[in-house]
Amino acid sequence: MDRRNFIRLLTQGLLGGGLLPGIAEAAQPKENQRLQFAFAQIKYRGGDWNPHPLAVTPLMQELMTRTSVEAAAQRHEATLSDRDLFNYPFLYLTGKYEFDPFTPDEIETLRRFLSYGGFMLIDDALGQQGYGFDKAVRREMQRVFPQNEFRRLPSGHAALRSYYLLRRIGGVRIVSPTLDGITVGNSMPVIYCHNNLGGAWERDQTGRWTNACTPGGEAQRRDAFHLGINLILYAMTENYKEDLIHVPFIRRRLTR
Amino acid sequence: MQDLYLIGPLPWWLIALVAVLTAVLLIQQFRALRQRLPLGQSAILTVLRACVYAVLIFFLFGPALIDRRTTKLRRPLTVLIDSSQSMAFPADSQPARGDKDPLSRLDVVREKLTAGPEPLIEKLSRDYDLRLIRFGTSLEPIAAGSLPGLQAQDPGTRLVELLQAAARDRAAQSAIVVFSDGIANGAQTSIEGMAPLPVPVFAVGVGEAQGFTDVRITKLGAPDFAFRSREFKIDLTIQASGMKGKTVPLFFNRGRNLITSRSVTIDDDLFEQKVTLAFTPKELGTHGFSVSIPAQVGEQITQNNHKDFKVEVRRDKIRILTLSGSPAWNYRFLRMAMKQDPLIELVSFVFLRTPTDSVDVPETQLSLIPFPIDDIFLEELKNFDLIFLDDFSHRAYFNPVYLERVRDFVRDGGGLAMFGGPRGFDSGGYGESALREVLPVELDGKGVFEMRDGLQAALTPAGKAHPITRLVPDPKANEEAWRKLPALTGMNQVRRVRGETLLTAGGAPLLAIGRHGKGRTLALMTDDAWRWNFIAVGNKQTPQHHLKLMRQAVRWLAQEPSFEQVQLQPIALSQPGEKVAIKLRVLKDDFTPTREASVQLRVFTPEGEPILVAAAAGTEEGEYAGEFTPTREGTYRVEAEASLSGKSLGKDRSSFTAAYFFGEADDGRPRLDLLKQIAESSKGEYIAIEDWNDKALERIAARLDSIAPSEIVEQRQTRLWSNLWPFAIMLALLSIEWWMRRKWGLI
Repeated sequence: MDRRNFIRLLTQGLLGGGLLPGIAEAAQPKENQRLQFAFAQIKYRGGDWNPHPLAVTPLMQELMTRTSVEAAAQRHEATLSDRDLFNYPFLYLTGKYEFDPFTPDEIETLRRFLSYGGFMLIDDALGQQGYGFDKAVRREMQRVFPQNEFRRLPSGHAALRSYYLLRRIGGVRIVSPTLDGITVGNSMPVIYCHNNLGGAWERDQTGRWTNACTPGGEAQRRDAFHLGINLILYAMTENYKEDLIHVPFIRRRLTR
Repeated sequence: MQDLYLIGPLPWWLIALVAVLTAVLLIQQFRALRQRLPLGQSAILTVLRACVYAVLIFFLFGPALIDRRTTKLRRPLTVLIDSSQSMAFPADSQPARGDKDPLSRLDVVREKLTAGPEPLIEKLSRDYDLRLIRFGTSLEPIAAGSLPGLQAQDPGTRLVELLQAAARDRAAQSAIVVFSDGIANGAQTSIEGMAPLPVPVFAVGVGEAQGFTDVRITKLGAPDFAFRSREFKIDLTIQASGMKGKTVPLFFNRGRNLITSRSVTIDDDLFEQKVTLAFTPKELGTHGFSVSIPAQVGEQITQNNHKDFKVEVRRDKIRILTLSGSPAWNYRFLRMAMKQDPLIELVSFVFLRTPTDSVDVPETQLSLIPFPIDDIFLEELKNFDLIFLDDFSHRAYFNPVYLERVRDFVRDGGGLAMFGGPRGFDSGGYGESALREVLPVELDGKGVFEMRDGLQAALTPAGKAHPITRLVPDPKANEEAWRKLPALTGMNQVRRVRGETLLTAGGAPLLAIGRHGKGRTLALMTDDAWRWNFIAVGNKQTPQHHLKLMRQAVRWLAQEPSFEQVQLQPIALSQPGEKVAIKLRVLKDDFTPTREASVQLRVFTPEGEPILVAAAAGTEEGEYAGEFTPTREGTYRVEAEASLSGKSLGKDRSSFTAAYFFGEADDGRPRLDLLKQIAESSKGEYIAIEDWNDKALERIAARLDSIAPSEIVEQRQTRLWSNLWPFAIMLALLSIEWWMRRKWGLI
């Protein structure tokens, strides 16, 4: 057992309950286990690409506790010019401040990535629309998809039903009750959350939440984890939950 | 008998002038004689000369004897007798009395021509130069003696066309007598546009249009093919004559199984109603259907109460059931490949949660649906073409007994693909399951999933030729394309391949295919195939190779015709008696055409009797053809099987329908109106069969005489001046005159 796992187990033993997995082993990938998912976070120039360095592991633990996905506990840090970028079809782009423009090669890479099956979750850790990170994101995505703009996700979108039937969007602060997305062809490879999801997921090394969620408290944090899981499953199953066989079942549950 | 005629060319006034001049000459002559002879002698000599002049003047009129002889001719007459199948229908609209079978229309014609001490056919033979011909779809001369054995057998009546052909026959003829019920179902069904007939037609109509009782199914419109699980409709028309007030049931069957029935109320003497019926086929293949109305009391024709047709049920889409052990990129990109293919319908269950995963919300806040095990494996499985087990282990979700259903599904023609991963193959426990005998690989029970980088897929010799792994048409370019595909990072290990290995990686089998029963199987021993798509995109290569591989695998597993080694070509609709060409294409295991194959072609008659048909290699490589002549109407099944060097290359099945285009029994009502129109337009006469007797024959003879006499008058002309006697008489008279003149001293 390495240091990280020891601390994690200790933390779980101390805190228990809540969002922590009840069975610690179930949340851990086994030695030499085939992992289906790795959470890759984009490093960029300028700004702050890493506002919540400890956010991913709790989410991965939650993912493995709640779902059948075997995931790498640690995030993978990648730049858009990395040769192995396409080994990680799920990308996470977050930050607080305005960052430097991507190079034309990076724009082209991102366009290919998103056009041929990759997925990117954008998370605004500042939560100020039109400023800082949001401004830079909109600028860069305009360069990636000049013809496609961010649009609000409808309440029945597959991303909101891919595992949990989500009625609320969580995060540290509810800047927007909805998500935005960019549609390319028949899919939506870019989803943008303004509520600082990473802040809601993050724990410190002792297992305490580093950010309080306002105004909804722990329920709001739980919504943030649910959304994170939903978006990962959406990336891996696309609009699977819109298949005809699922629709009447989901509709019945939503009307209860 | 000889008559004297004056046929001289001189005008009468000239002869009269000559006569006057002759009289003047005689008077002059008499006066001259009177001066030398007494009155009596002068008168005798003048009379003698007058006689000579009279003879000469008489000959100026051109006297001739004409001898006339009258000869009566036997006119050529063509008698056509309708021997189409409708002539077997009852002649009388009233049911027969007692147990007797009602007389057919042909029976009545036969009776009218051959009954009695002096049959009318004999009279016709005597009075006319008779040509007797039966007709239906063609003209067939027959002898008068064969009339009693004449059968109503022709499948159609080309009445108008054959009448025209008979009338224009080179043989001389004065008229045509046609015995028919007037039903015409050839290319021409009326006299509209018909060229005028050169001879009169005496049409003898048989059958009763009044009081005709029949209900029939006509104008059946059914599709040649339909899509499975999609409703298709058939349109038909129900016609009825003389059945007003009755309600009849209409049955729609598939084979012997009733699909639906409907009651039809007949509310008019001449009733017609369109009916539309629908059916949703569930099984692929060619299926025989029928619509029928039971025979009604008093109905004269029951053959037209029933119609058979066949519909080929095809899949509109290849339906795939995918069970994925968990969300994974392999599923994501497999789904992308399937969803972009309009031929594929994907129904997938991704197991988002295992039984050991816990959730922090009530079940009602989850989108997970319970996996409908019984519905899928006991009910719905037959509606799928393929099953994909994608990194899926059944152990946590259902009893392995259900896998026996999957085994049977493949045995009966379904396709099964197992994609690898930690839950695939042996780690899914399939080595001990019913699928052990189905999979194209033999499992070793260890369930090793090897993870290492750089597992590069390589084509085997079989893989180089197989359509699944043919990413580009050119063999060398194809090998190059495989070489350039991104490497994999994990593989399931198996003991050995039972079927054919198409791909290897790191020296171990990566992609294998096989057959089980009628079905096909595929094993891809990795969960990393998505890398051939997305990593290739990252390498600025095309993702199409992965998409193509998956789609080709689907088509091969689903036994799409273009992926079959034995392919029967579609067979055209034919008529009984016409040769049907049956063509097929045979491909070797490497999917190249061969002319070395041994081909067995069998045709099954509508009764199910197999008939072996010789098939020979055609001019084009891989083409084979045979010929078969159907003898009766119905659906014929065709089975083709080919082998090469004793190894079976596969089978294919097809079917074709043989049916006459005429629809002889569709509407059995006699069309006496058409016969009347034909008779009228040809200046002949319509004669009802009950009026066919001696008087009718006399009327025909009189009508023909009025058109052209049947006697030939020969006359022989004897000109008197070409005879010796007139000259002899004149010479005698002149000699007597000379002798008297000498005696009386004038010479």
